[in-house]
Amino acid sequence: MRLYKLALTTCLAGAVIFYWITAPELIEQDALPEHTVNLTNGEQMFWVGGCGSCHAADGASGNHKLLLSGGLTLDTPFGAFVAPNISPHDDGIGQWSDLDFVNAMIKGVSPEGKHYYPAFPYTNYQRMPVTDVLDLKAFLDTLPPVAGKADDHSLGFPFNIRWGLGLWKWRYLDGQSFEPDPTLEDAINRGRYLVDGPGHCGACHTPRDRFGGELLSSYLQGASVLEVNEHTGEQSSGWVPNITSDDNGLAEWTQEDIAYSLETGFTPEFDSFGGSMSSVQDNIYHLSASDRMAIAAYLKSLQ
Amino acid sequence: MKILSLISASILCASVSVVTTADGHGKGYPFKNEIQARMNVMNLYGYYLGELGAMAKGQSPYDADAATRAANNLLAMAKLDNTTMWPQGSDNSVPALDNKTRAKPEAWTTYPEIVDKHKALITAATTMAAEAGNGLDAVRANIGAVGQSCKGCHEAFRGPKLKGHSH
Ligand code: HEC
Ligand code: HEC
Ligand code: HEC
Repeated sequence: MRLYKLALTTCLAGAVIFYWITAPELIEQDALPEHTVNLTNGEQMFWVGGCGSCHAADGASGNHKLLLSGGLTLDTPFGAFVAPNISPHDDGIGQWSDLDFVNAMIKGVSPEGKHYYPAFPYTNYQRMPVTDVLDLKAFLDTLPPVAGKADDHSLGFPFNIRWGLGLWKWRYLDGQSFEPDPTLEDAINRGRYLVDGPGHCGACHTPRDRFGGELLSSYLQGASVLEVNEHTGEQSSGWVPNITSDDNGLAEWTQEDIAYSLETGFTPEFDSFGGSMSSVQDNIYHLSASDRMAIAAYLKSLQ
Repeated sequence: MKILSLISASILCASVSVVTTADGHGKGYPFKNEIQARMNVMNLYGYYLGELGAMAKGQSPYDADAATRAANNLLAMAKLDNTTMWPQGSDNSVPALDNKTRAKPEAWTTYPEIVDKHKALITAATTMAAEAGNGLDAVRANIGAVGQSCKGCHEAFRGPKLKGHSH
């Protein structure tokens, strides 16, 4: 009998802890700072964040990346994710408050309190200070509203259960905002912020463990292409290269080579970027030359 | 009996390897020579474009003769008829080749689209060859179009990078 009671309390405690772990964590309204919007910065955050690579129509480039109707499908080993409409229309996020947006970007939580899948790279965006997120929201509000909802994701069990994501986030979403390292040059700190935060370079260039979390011990050291090969239906044999400065990475590239490649899409051998990097480069092209040099300086600092 | 099947297995293997050699004119994997030859051509494109690019970037001084020579060489390379380097079945959907080539099957299944992409390179390289001697600004004004023609074909017909290859 006593044993039975013990089991029951443990079980109950377990359930409470489980609920506590899996329940979405939120930022409150009064935690939002007073902020005068900077639209230029918001636009830069948009481009470095690559929102248009996923939320515009498949294959969109140039100004078409500003039409955020959603619809692009990401085929992953976990199933097919479809990026939703995030244009300022009722079918998108037209009715969202600033707080809704901040919680989506930093906590990975929807206005209804549901967890988002990390196919939306909020584990990287969580590094952004709230002010950069507010500038981004203000910029998104200036874009054309587009009607139409995107399709639902098509995921198998158990990946189709959102609350299970609470456990995942408990392990992989650390809630840390970017902190500059005072021992590093300003340009390197700026580069690190752009790479780790909005630029989410590690989402592709860092390998993942079997639960899909970034393996930080191999930070930016190259990874298998996550997408499935469209012909064989198998995991693609493609490789996302190492972009640290070690011998398997960018050791032979100068800082100028890296910045030039991010501006033009050409490697030092004058090969052109392909695959998903070509859309990334098309975004990074819109950054200032000094931000591209900062990214390059940071990558060169990773020996 | 065991020995017999072993022998027949090795005969089978031998004949398979003869077949692949006959098919691919190389050992190791089918179409090795063709695949390597086309990669070499691509790397030469990169070499000549790189000479022009170094001037455009300001890494080497502009020199009208050197620029014209690089552009003429690029054009000459682009005009070669390299049909034999692109045999059917030498794409990355062939299991034996998925880590050897980045050429996508679409290069064949959507034929002649790849021919149009190739023509776009010849057009851009022709303009570059005519203009490269007319000053650094002329090189800068035309290099983007050449680069876009390379990129246009790569986006359509080249698959992802391969692990352990520098390209
Ligand atoms: C790698 C692809 C990718 C990138 C890049 C990306 N997103 Fe998303 N985003 C998604 C996916 C997939 C979802 C759906 C997540 C889910 O349903 O759980 C999503 C969801 C969202 C949502 C929630 C929309 C809703 O209706 O609930 C917002 C807001 C959002 N993204 C904003 C952004 C912004 C802003 C950027 C750029 C800074 C961005 N995303 C970049 C893939 C991406
Ligand atoms: C959506 C996935 C994705 C993201 C995000 C991404 N990359 Fe890439 N990157 C790739 C792929 C794929 C390649 C290989 C390109 C190819 O096939 O030509 C690549 C190649 C590169 C290269 C060339 C390396 C080489 O050896 O040729 C550099 C440099 C690079 N990326 C830098 C960055 C930086 C900096 C960021 C963040 C701002 C970034 N990437 C974000 C997918 C991505
Ligand atoms: C008509 C299509 C086409 C055009 C035009 C084209 N390429 Fe390529 N390129 C390819 C394909 C396909 C591959 C992959 C070949 C393979 O892996 O078998 C490739 C591969 C390459 C490679 C990698 C070679 C290697 O060793 O793996 C380089 C470098 C390259 N191209 C440079 C260029 C440059 C520079 C230009 C423009 C001056 C260009 N290409 C124009 C189709 C094209």
